[in-house]
Amino acid sequence: MIKVYLPELGENITKATVSYWYFEEGMSVVEGNDLVEMTTDKATFNVPAPCSGAIVEIMAHEGDVVEVGSVLATIEEETGGNSPAEGEGV
Amino acid sequence: MYLKPKCHVVDLGMIEYQKSLDLQKKIVKKVIDGEVSDTLITCQHPHVITLSRLAKKENILVSCEELKKLGVGICWTDRGGDVTYHGPGQIVLYPIFNLKEDKKDLHIFLRNLEEVVIRALRNNFGLNAYRKSGLTGVWVGPYKVASIGIGVSHWVTYHGLSLNVRTDKKFYNLIKPCGLPDVKIASINDFFDDDVSLETVRLMLLKSIQDIFECHLN
Repeated sequence: MIKVYLPELGENITKATVSYWYFEEGMSVVEGNDLVEMTTDKATFNVPAPCSGAIVEIMAHEGDVVEVGSVLATIEEETGGNSPAEGEGV
Repeated sequence: MYLKPKCHVVDLGMIEYQKSLDLQKKIVKKVIDGEVSDTLITCQHPHVITLSRLAKKENILVSCEELKKLGVGICWTDRGGDVTYHGPGQIVLYPIFNLKEDKKDLHIFLRNLEEVVIRALRNNFGLNAYRKSGLTGVWVGPYKVASIGIGVSHWVTYHGLSLNVRTDKKFYNLIKPCGLPDVKIASINDFFDDDVSLETVRLMLLKSIQDIFECHLN
């Protein structure tokens, strides 16, 4: 199971709001797909899928404010594919 | 400081907001895929109010019918920020820059965009332009003159900044700009007796982009 984390976005940015999920639980994603849009004060940031597979669970829902490093979702990695290390992807 | 050796400049002139956004997204994909280098779009938009996904509808202060009567469009969009207005007389810059090659830092990028406007206004017009701590944008005296809101995909930026040069400010009465209370808006033209040319300001902003981002514009 691969965890999708909110990455470091920059100096003084410690949290962001989940503004839009491009996918729902159970849907298949391809590595690099924009997975979820996070919003800080004046920026939106699309967190890409770190691997190809199916979204098992969405932990942070639209409107939730989450801290950098939090787990946003988990993905069941597609077997047979190459994937980057857990949580990588940005 | 982001080092961008080459950056294409595309001036779209007056273009519908949605069309410019569609074009930005195409370019963003090409920049992500390494097919084109960083690109800077400059343009103006016909009257339009744009809202981010998290914007509050109540920050539009009039009805849809009234907006229609005034010829003002509405677009929901995927930038940061709340609600803003674009219209003729306002210069818009959309830097589609790949931040992956350097420090990945949205805070620094936003501050650099502010600095582009601040330096252009200080060096060319002698205006005491400044940023406000905790907010994003550029002010001259009590007036906000530039707004900023960006989007980022795969560390490639899009959306950007708008600077009021000769904007009809009555259109800002239709909204609560940026969702903030008591924001006073001004245009660069308001600070001078003679008309300020949009093209002059556009070229000043380009020079400023070149200096701040240390890139070669072509």
